[in-house]
Amino acid sequence: MKNAKAGPLLYGFLVAVLAASVFPLYYSFIVASKDNSVLGEKVPPLVPGGNLVENITRVFDTVDFWLAMQNSFIVAATVAISNVVLGTLAGFAFARLRFKGRDSLFIVVLGTAMVPTQLGVIPLYMLMSDLDWYGTLQAVIVPALIGSFAVFWMRQACEETVPYELIEAARVDGCSVLRTFWHVGFPAVRPQAAVLGMFTFMTAWNDFFWPLIVLDPNDSPTVQVALSSLASGYYTDYSLMLAGASLAVLPVIAIFVLLSRQIVGGIMQGAVKG
Amino acid sequence: MSRRLVGSVAATLVMVLAAGCGGSSGADGKVELSLGLFSDFGYDKLIEEYQASHPNIKIEQRKVKMEQHNTQLATQLAGGRGAADIVALEEGVVSQFRASKDKFVNLADYGAKDLKDQWAGWKWNQGTADNGEFVLGLGTDMGSLGLCYRRDLFEAAGLPTDRDAVAKLWPTWADYAKVADQFTAKTPNVKFVDTGRNVYKAILDQTEEGYFAKDDSYIADKNAAVKTAFDTAAALGTKQQTGALEPFSQDWNVALKQGSFATTTCPAWAMALIKAGAGDGAAGKWDVTTAPGGGGNWGGSFLAIPKQGKHPKEAYELAKWLTSPEQQKRIFKETGNLPSQPKVYQDAEVQATVNEYFNKAPVGKVFATSAESLKPTYRGTKDSKVTPIFNSALQRVEQGKQPAADAWTQALKEAQDAVK
Amino acid sequence: MTAVSTKTEAAQAASVPSSPEPKRFWLSGWDARYTPYLIIAPFFLVFGIFGLYPLVYTAWVSLHDWQLIDGNQGFVGLANYVELFGDAKFWNALFNTLSLFVLSTVPQLLAALGLAALLDRGLRGSAFWRAGVLLPNVISVAAVALVFAQFFGRDFGIVNFLLGFVGIDPIDWRAETWASHLAVSTMVMWRWTGYNSLLYLAAMQSVPKDMYESATLDGASRWRMFWAITVPSIRPTILFTVVTSTIGGLQLFAEPALFDPGFAANNSSGGSDRQFQTLVMYMYEKGFRLFDAGYSATIAWMLFVVVLLVAVVNFTLTRRIAGKG
Repeated sequence: MKNAKAGPLLYGFLVAVLAASVFPLYYSFIVASKDNSVLGEKVPPLVPGGNLVENITRVFDTVDFWLAMQNSFIVAATVAISNVVLGTLAGFAFARLRFKGRDSLFIVVLGTAMVPTQLGVIPLYMLMSDLDWYGTLQAVIVPALIGSFAVFWMRQACEETVPYELIEAARVDGCSVLRTFWHVGFPAVRPQAAVLGMFTFMTAWNDFFWPLIVLDPNDSPTVQVALSSLASGYYTDYSLMLAGASLAVLPVIAIFVLLSRQIVGGIMQGAVKG
Repeated sequence: MSRRLVGSVAATLVMVLAAGCGGSSGADGKVELSLGLFSDFGYDKLIEEYQASHPNIKIEQRKVKMEQHNTQLATQLAGGRGAADIVALEEGVVSQFRASKDKFVNLADYGAKDLKDQWAGWKWNQGTADNGEFVLGLGTDMGSLGLCYRRDLFEAAGLPTDRDAVAKLWPTWADYAKVADQFTAKTPNVKFVDTGRNVYKAILDQTEEGYFAKDDSYIADKNAAVKTAFDTAAALGTKQQTGALEPFSQDWNVALKQGSFATTTCPAWAMALIKAGAGDGAAGKWDVTTAPGGGGNWGGSFLAIPKQGKHPKEAYELAKWLTSPEQQKRIFKETGNLPSQPKVYQDAEVQATVNEYFNKAPVGKVFATSAESLKPTYRGTKDSKVTPIFNSALQRVEQGKQPAADAWTQALKEAQDAVK
Repeated sequence: MTAVSTKTEAAQAASVPSSPEPKRFWLSGWDARYTPYLIIAPFFLVFGIFGLYPLVYTAWVSLHDWQLIDGNQGFVGLANYVELFGDAKFWNALFNTLSLFVLSTVPQLLAALGLAALLDRGLRGSAFWRAGVLLPNVISVAAVALVFAQFFGRDFGIVNFLLGFVGIDPIDWRAETWASHLAVSTMVMWRWTGYNSLLYLAAMQSVPKDMYESATLDGASRWRMFWAITVPSIRPTILFTVVTSTIGGLQLFAEPALFDPGFAANNSSGGSDRQFQTLVMYMYEKGFRLFDAGYSATIAWMLFVVVLLVAVVNFTLTRRIAGKG
């Protein structure tokens, strides 16, 4: 975006960074394309084998991976959309609206972020039992609908990018608060909202601690629950499990490619249009 | 317009939620039973058959890793909901769940006591409480203990390779330690055993009382048997005759494949792990013989019925059927899970079973003998709290972090805290 | 770029108004008065039910002798807290948590900042590079555990193999305190650097282009522009990541648990002498293995306090450092 051109040195460096990032995924892929015995080799194998199709077929034979993908998608997409919508609204309010108790309420939001997530598993489970949500996707979705990270992040974004002048202009035109948000606030923070959507999607997709406890591995598995079912034997069949794990990464990458245009997308243009 | 937008988003969310949440629908008035399992109980075919002969019953299996299974079960018992109708309890944690037996159905109420004689006495006792009045679970398989060894490595060290001759080398664990010394003297670069912790466990499991006396009082600090077991295993560690490996871990797999240790304690179920880890290249190199000091047992499970389930009677019928001698024999033939019932493991067909990979070892016979000579150890309700403490102490010795005496002192202190 | 207002500390420092805040804003009408509350309500609703209730409940549990499965065994007051302060294992876990936090977070955020600056330059196929740096965060933890077990293997690991070339003896990465901390920190850095760099990148993109242009005309070097323009402009985001990494870093669980092969087998929790057991691991051990829910809840509450304290300290420190830029 800036005038400085990137040189070959920079590309070389980034290739190295990328290699380090990708290696474990590549390694998973290699193990997934061989059989379990490669794990005993002194030097890790670097060339894929020929069992990938067989291992993937076994994944689908062992667990209902389509159902798991579908469930994970429902969970992650709902959580991501909800966090973006509710988080941007709340962030906008904290950054650009004036109301009584605003700053103290924001401190509360900050404070909630400090609550250790594993802290409340037992009471949360009891709550889910009382609601009769055990084994349903609500149990995973509803507590994650809006998190402090989203509010915190979007408030930041609004502080940085939504000019008061534009809000004032919209108000002079007689826009309601929500209309002002829609026309002035949201377009300005679209890139950050896309980042937030991406990250919450990822977090929800990869979450396993709570889903493993509250979901039913047959009726309502998410991908991570299904992966753990793949590894439930006396000995861990890593080829099988990593074939599943490699498959599970694909949708997240697809989402990233979809959203990246938003993230890259110009930021000033959006705001000026309002 | 914008308010409509928010409204429609909310409506979409609700719709998505509603669409995504099937839940377990009561299919056409059938009784639905769930089985909470880990590992491989080999029930797939049996369940199909049971459903065919009981058209009003629908069964589903939930399989997760053992550690997760235990965590989930504890949470579900605490939350009062969500546990499967039948849950598997592994031998290592059964005493811990026995402490909360009021969360489980007393199977004696359904006549389980009549089944008592099916099982080896010790197996039955492990699944009961209150002097046998409370029946917590029905035994599934067992983990009879043998000792696996590498023939080629023994040969290289000038030791006999024939399994009967090897068994004669180590009637006791002290003899086993002597063999270790001979082995190390000849081939110093190969470890004699994968980990001292499993040796320790095997020795301890052969004593009548371990960390706890039969009245459930803590006696590890007074019980000479515990100290002897610890010292024997720690000596192996101090002399660096162990691989200091975490059993069944990734490092353990590599060590197996590379042939860097010569013996390992071998519960029946571990043979599949050794085969998987060592790979086809080592076929015929491993063999199995009787463990020093007589028999032993490591692992094996029970089927229990949490009280929160809706169909305890139907669940009991299913659990009884799944653990019956006929089915245990079938499971053994299909998966190799060792039956816990004398009638089955003494069966001629079972006794004649050999394991091709382990140099055609007569595993049926080896493990049946081990089960017969087993003097089961008493497991206190706090056994699973104390066990990791002593294991970690041995690990510190193996890692060279602490001399054996210091590790022992620290373990005693920690254990004292854990049981108070 | 200094904020001038009488707002509270945290709220103030986290904000850099792009222009002075007008005094008279939406003074009238139902809309202006109540809509703000309406749109922040969902957060408080969700938190109230699924966050606050468990938090308060946990506080209640920590005042009791409470067994996980059997429930309440009687009120004990602050006995659990008294025991905790005399518990060497708690202090050990606290030390490990802080050590791992410092070792992993500081280099991680600096690296993320550098990486973001590089990604912010006119790259071909930018989406490709961004997806690349985020990958470590996407991969299933099981794969991560497997790969790092291989890397830091004692007998056949790649790291020891490479160290052998420079004449360093094989290290038992799981046995020693400092070695295990180093290894776990590497894992944490690997998983989270890309994540933070994308947060920085998102903020860097809203730095007005003309600021760089005029600086270039003045002949400023890229290095100078980075410290004089980029860093101060994204200061709020830096503060943001410092706070979130503090929270995440002090609640470290997955990485050290995966690094301990005995953890899954219930043999150990953070090494043979708890040399890399974190507070959350200790909490998990007490609650889910030993079924001592009361004590586990006590650890949870102390963790909450520690996070709060460290977050405030870090926030203040970073604000001072980044503010001078």
